[in-house]
Amino acid sequence: MNVHLLAFAVGAIGRRKARALAFAVGLTAAVTLLAAVVFLTESLRAESERSHRVEPDLVVQRMTGGRPRTVELADEQLIASIPAVRSVTARVWGYLFLPAIEGNITVVAAAPNDALLHRTPSSIEPSPSTAHAVIAEGRHLRAGEHEVVMGAELARTLGVQPGDELRIADAQRTSHTLKLVGTFHSVLDTFTADVVMCDATDARALLGLSPGQATDLALTLSNENESSVVAREIASRMGSTRVIERHSLARVRHLAFGRRAGLVLAMSLPALLTLLVLAWDRATGFSASERKELAIARAVGWSTSDVLWAKLWETLIVACAATAAGLAFAYLWVFVFGAAGLRQALMGWSVVYPRTPLTPAVTLAQVLGITSAIVGPFAMVSVGAAWRAATRDPVDLLRA
Amino acid sequence: MRPLPSSVAIASRSRQPLRIGMAGAALASPWLVALAMALHAHARRADRARQETTIAVALSQLPSADLAISATSRWLRAPSLEEPGAAFADGPASRDSDPAGGAIAPPTEAWAHEASGLSVTIAITKAAFQP
Repeated sequence: MNVHLLAFAVGAIGRRKARALAFAVGLTAAVTLLAAVVFLTESLRAESERSHRVEPDLVVQRMTGGRPRTVELADEQLIASIPAVRSVTARVWGYLFLPAIEGNITVVAAAPNDALLHRTPSSIEPSPSTAHAVIAEGRHLRAGEHEVVMGAELARTLGVQPGDELRIADAQRTSHTLKLVGTFHSVLDTFTADVVMCDATDARALLGLSPGQATDLALTLSNENESSVVAREIASRMGSTRVIERHSLARVRHLAFGRRAGLVLAMSLPALLTLLVLAWDRATGFSASERKELAIARAVGWSTSDVLWAKLWETLIVACAATAAGLAFAYLWVFVFGAAGLRQALMGWSVVYPRTPLTPAVTLAQVLGITSAIVGPFAMVSVGAAWRAATRDPVDLLRA
Repeated sequence: MRPLPSSVAIASRSRQPLRIGMAGAALASPWLVALAMALHAHARRADRARQETTIAVALSQLPSADLAISATSRWLRAPSLEEPGAAFADGPASRDSDPAGGAIAPPTEAWAHEASGLSVTIAITKAAFQP
């Protein structure tokens, strides 16, 4: 390879600025869109899978007519007698629509520490201080005092702060006065943005549950490999139930993000194809000045190999710079500017979006994959076009 | 390889180092961007790793580790727990029929109106006004 050909390629790009710019802009836009979807999806998937290890081994729901309904606290004893079951926790949680924000909040009953910290790392001892670690402003709630803690983003949306009192009416028109005593740490926004946590009595009142009812049951097993066997045993004891195993929870999330990403890419396909066709056209078609330049080069003694190397460098220089710009724009868009526009498409539909910056989970293989998927085909096409031109007679090339 | 045509070589001789430098920078740019991204991502992941304990404690108090990204849609807030029993779902992890996977927004205004008819209200008393 002659380095002079590199300089010649840069000069050729400079002589056809508009053409190179159109090529680069098309490629940059296509790479940005493609890379941003990959970056955002992988980040959400990693965030979701990171939390997998703290989930219960089994979740038991009652089903009626194909829909989940509340469980009875008596079911807790029925399940606790199964030998492989280490603990059963009746959980009270649900959704409440707030016209003020035109969206649902998730009401969660705070359970006693000793019942809930069953899957946290072994180094953490269940104690009031561990529960308080999740609170950034104010303090954790005290049971029986009609207190709540909520997600920082929800508090910001409602315009409240610790010390404020909230009067929330349930669907039975009964108002409940609750005092906001703390907000969750902002690093938890991805999980708690819409969460209002109160004690079980207040949660039941807000959700319209009777004292003997709970939303579902969370189980910890002495050996999680026995989850399928225990799930079958629960189904036979309780009848119409849905027992969700831990690996199923992870699978649902994994698939959900993949499908969403695929859909966004599918919806963007026409725009992506248009950009690629534009860039392809620029890479394959030779203008009159370019044909003239090639003809002169061939006439003064350039070999076919010289011409191919010069055209290859010209394409690679523009394609590499455009791909680098596209990758950089996509990264900044997703991880610095919060994926404005794309976030709504991939992150569901909410009025209380978590503002926590996403954690990058992209791998070098993915970056290389995107780069080679874009640069490779364009390099091959440009070499093919240059080969056809370089093997023609210079006089024919000038007359074409 | 044959030498470059003299006209081309002479014309570009003075700018050649600059052009070669520009070409090298352009060809290396994807790798430089990938390296910068890797360094930034590593720092962000280290930050997140330091928050693991807080996250674990918080998640042990929540019903689901699903991300809070679809609060408006009940059947999307905790898909891992609600599929396939949730409304509009035909199978586990099926594509969102409304609205994340579609082009039509959920009728939140209609829901708000419906809720208002039932006198579902939220009132906030600011602490600043308390005696």
